[in-house]
Amino acid sequence: MRPAAARREDSDMTVRDLAELLAAVTGDESLLSAGITAATRLEGDLFLDSLDLAALAALLRERYGTALDLAGYVAGLGIDELIGLTAGEVTGYVNRCRVGPHPGP
Amino acid sequence: MSRFLVVTLPLTGHAHRALAVADELAVRGHEVAWCGPEAYFRPLLGPDATVFPTGTKLLREQAGHGMAALKSLWQDYVLPMGRFMLPSVHRAVHAYQPDVLVVDQHALAGALAARRHGLPWATLVTEAMELTRPLDALPRVADWVRAQVAALVREGGLTGPFDPLVSPYLVIAFTTRALTGEQPFPDHFALVGTAMLERQGDFDWDWLDPGRRTVLVTVGTLAAGLAAEFYQRAAAAVEPLAATVQAILVGPPDLLPDPPANVRVVPSVPMLALLPRLDAVISHGGMNTVCEALAHGVPLVLAPIRHDQPVVAAQVVRAGAGLRVPFYRVRPGPLRQALETVLDDPAYRQAAGRIGRSLTGAGGAQAAAARLEALLPAAR
Repeated sequence: MRPAAARREDSDMTVRDLAELLAAVTGDESLLSAGITAATRLEGDLFLDSLDLAALAALLRERYGTALDLAGYVAGLGIDELIGLTAGEVTGYVNRCRVGPHPGP
Repeated sequence: MSRFLVVTLPLTGHAHRALAVADELAVRGHEVAWCGPEAYFRPLLGPDATVFPTGTKLLREQAGHGMAALKSLWQDYVLPMGRFMLPSVHRAVHAYQPDVLVVDQHALAGALAARRHGLPWATLVTEAMELTRPLDALPRVADWVRAQVAALVREGGLTGPFDPLVSPYLVIAFTTRALTGEQPFPDHFALVGTAMLERQGDFDWDWLDPGRRTVLVTVGTLAAGLAAEFYQRAAAAVEPLAATVQAILVGPPDLLPDPPANVRVVPSVPMLALLPRLDAVISHGGMNTVCEALAHGVPLVLAPIRHDQPVVAAQVVRAGAGLRVPFYRVRPGPLRQALETVLDDPAYRQAAGRIGRSLTGAGGAQAAAARLEALLPAAR
């Protein structure tokens, strides 16, 4: 039987899931009640910086496997894309990665 | 006797480093002139200094933080200032006939003029953004910055590859490997450590209780709204520590109209006189403040906001001389915890002292002046 956490990961990552991960990496519980939507900008609205994104990338990799390379995704973005990067774009990237062949344990 | 023309920006951290070097050049018998906004430089340099004025350019306030701030720094400040100052720097070079230009890394007009006139020039690196190249991790952002700078170079009438951020003659950086890490630099890079200069400011020394530890809180010259909120949280963080800690907040007194009894708000401080009495500094992580604190062995709690401040904070944390907290999100509780950690764990003060010895032992303004003299025609 698979552990509960792994079972949950079979469904798409939601913005709510992302808010929980962000609260975990920043230690800021107020992100859970911040009303984050798909359109919320990580930098402009949530004041996340590159270190927060790096911590998020590490946590995502731990959870979903090395094929999920948020740091690589972010490194490919231009300055305006980084300024405008939204919660929905991050969950979209995560879910796209997970549609492909699952790396497995 | 030789002539040096200093081209820098009307910003404390930038101008003060240049002034420390210029003072040392004068001690060595050289002539120094300045090119910049006279409204800023005349009061700083005094009535006898030679200042070739650029006029003063009013620029809109830069965006708050992160990549938006970086974009704004280039588009709304560095490039317009370069464009605005260039004709004045050209005129200054014609009028003054300097042997060498001493150019702040972000005063691009100085580099363009030096190149145009075929004069040797040195880059003064007064902040942390361009030295260790942290933007290399975001290649498209690094490319964007390069493209902005290249456009200004073309506008300046120069052809061929030319990087106004990094002199091919001499790069003087006010840091050392204790902060930058072990990454190698070319031989024409001189990491000279600190070049400190006292700032104006009175202080009521009697207010300091020698029985309590003293913490300075400063976030530089920020938009007042941004600073006010952080200062309220900082005051709330230190208030419960009143038995053992007193805090000095640097900023306009109306930022915190009703401070706790163990907190005093002052518009400015004589930083170098105060630092030997300080047990910790809470700061946004400007290079100037950070290096001065470390030079006095004072550990730091850094809440970086933008530009090179996250880079500086990462360097300090890696060196073990302080902790980083998120500027926009940190609550009084976690801020207090970080402060108590650097105050109570002697490892932070020891690390700050170790880096401080590196910063003060690297030659400072004297080493910078000696390297500049080596660029003079007679020496080459």
